[in-house]
Amino acid sequence: MIAAKNQPSWLRSLLCYETLLLAVLVIEWLIFYHYGTSTNRRGHLVGFGTLDRQFDILRHSCEIGLLALALTPVILTAGIDLSVGSLLGLCAIVFGKLWHDGGLSIPVAAALTLVVGAMGGGLNAGLITALRLPPLIVTLGTYSLFRGLAEAITQGAVTYTDFPSGFLFLGQERWNGLPMQAWLFLLMTVLVWILVHRTTWGRSFRVIGFSPEGARYAGLPVERRVSIVYILAGIIAALAALIYTARLGQAKADAGTGYELFAITAVVLGGTSIFGGRGSVTGTLLGVAAIAVLKNGLACLPVVIRLNAAEEISGLLTGALLLVALTGNAIPTFLKYLRAHRPAR
Amino acid sequence: MNHHVSRCLLFATLLLAGLPAVFAAEAKLMIAMMPKSKGNAYFISCKHGADRAAKELGFELLFDGPTDSNAAKQNEIVENWITLGVDVITVAAENKQGISTALRKAQKQGIKVITFDADALPDARSFFVNQATPQGIASGLMDEAARLCGAEGEFAIISATLTAGNQREWLKYIDERLAEKYPKMKLVAVRPCDDLKDKAQSEATALMSANPRLKLLMAICSPGVPGAAEAVKQAGKTGQVKVIGLGLPSENRRYVHEGVTDSVMLWKTEDLGYLTIYAAAAVARDELKPGATSFKAGSLGTFEIKGDNILLGQPFIFNRSNIDQFDF
Repeated sequence: MIAAKNQPSWLRSLLCYETLLLAVLVIEWLIFYHYGTSTNRRGHLVGFGTLDRQFDILRHSCEIGLLALALTPVILTAGIDLSVGSLLGLCAIVFGKLWHDGGLSIPVAAALTLVVGAMGGGLNAGLITALRLPPLIVTLGTYSLFRGLAEAITQGAVTYTDFPSGFLFLGQERWNGLPMQAWLFLLMTVLVWILVHRTTWGRSFRVIGFSPEGARYAGLPVERRVSIVYILAGIIAALAALIYTARLGQAKADAGTGYELFAITAVVLGGTSIFGGRGSVTGTLLGVAAIAVLKNGLACLPVVIRLNAAEEISGLLTGALLLVALTGNAIPTFLKYLRAHRPAR
Repeated sequence: MNHHVSRCLLFATLLLAGLPAVFAAEAKLMIAMMPKSKGNAYFISCKHGADRAAKELGFELLFDGPTDSNAAKQNEIVENWITLGVDVITVAAENKQGISTALRKAQKQGIKVITFDADALPDARSFFVNQATPQGIASGLMDEAARLCGAEGEFAIISATLTAGNQREWLKYIDERLAEKYPKMKLVAVRPCDDLKDKAQSEATALMSANPRLKLLMAICSPGVPGAAEAVKQAGKTGQVKVIGLGLPSENRRYVHEGVTDSVMLWKTEDLGYLTIYAAAAVARDELKPGATSFKAGSLGTFEIKGDNILLGQPFIFNRSNIDQFDF
């Protein structure tokens, strides 16, 4: 970011945004490790430094992490999807209803839930590409629509519970050392990373983000490519719904409320431009981690514990972190602007 | 190596070197308490009692919960407390099943669990501090109604819905109490208000015009009490048709002072918090074990235990003489 052309390439790559974000993450982690770990009365190690805590961070951030993954290609095409959190809620309810009231087996209900997710994403895609409506407005509409549907199905009162332990395993147990959902998250990360960074499709997302008209002149099927990212977002939101339901052992219409904003924050913090065209899956991953570690780490700091306000302070600091990162990222552009407008001597 | 890099390295080394020097072991027992939502006046009042108890006992009290009633956040907070290694967790559960998975996890780690206000599944906690039994609520309301009516005459009930479990149970015990002790009183109607004040008001108006000899309206859901009071006031029947019910003092203070509502019944929420913390402390010290039949909680005295429910006892009646002392 600040590297000039004549500096060695290793230094340039060291100064890129992702590396800086990684540094922030490591420092954050070390601070919490240092100040948030202690031994309790019974002599047990407690707080941030415990392995359980690290696994909890993974478990608590999987759903928002998945939504952030889903949003990365969307934002790369200069789009936005505000409806993913609501779609998560709708999918959780659909899954609960199919299993509990519909009498379907867990795998069938889960598969159908993924189909519903794809349909939800498809609705967004259709409205955005066929009718050429702005994504912000379309997904603002479906944001209310999906949540409203979830509430209507349950009359806002029914909560589906009593899921079999085989399903709860997905959200509550460990498999080969890691929480089960972390494996799924890892798998999705690899898939999305390959899609975005190693395929021509991924390159076309960026091209569309930079200039949709240019992409169209270049012969890219813009509508089809844009549709794909929204449908993919819907499917991933459905997957997140399954993990959420398994983690809590309940499906309720308020599932995932507000998650879309956390996910967008993570993506933008990860260095993806909200105007499209620029960004990476690695960045998103770091953004998710930075926010999750901040949120969970604060809850371990004695000062914050005494104040009983972990949630409030983490909201505040997440906001501050995002603003600082955006400002930092904008400085080179600003300097360039200043240099270009320097009065001639 | 330039100065910046070396300074950064120095900082990192210092951080790492300091790692073994963790905090001195906490001598105090730590009790964590979670309301359904931490901004709710009802639970803030619980916290006042809990703070008092923790101070008396010399324990550390953590009080945290979702800002809105959110089951997912409740679970995350419990999981946080588990890794913080607290000694006891007390919870007012937003969702029975959801919270129970997290509470069982806490129990597995040797943390004691107690619920208050709203129970989790029985296997996920050792005791439930029960603020009021259905019998206690029903007979309390019925006795108060009989006292105001002189044990004779017509009365009607406004409930939340006709299907809600707790409402049906209360109605059942009200019927029992009525048949058993007050043969000269007659329940003319039970009408649902869907937990809405507006609907309670229109139902109350309809009840009064359909039953001109009606002496009392009893609302067994909290929005029903001010709703019924507003109807009585607008019909100009203040004093002629009395209003009582289950509700918060704050919502009914105005009507109580105007003489429309005679009394509102609820448990003392501060005592609920106080008792919960005393029970938590006793469980942590192994002084309170399953099978106990009574339990002494500081300045509040002795409480009855039925099964694994610690009973707060009879509900408290708020009327003109004492309602200003309570701000929830």
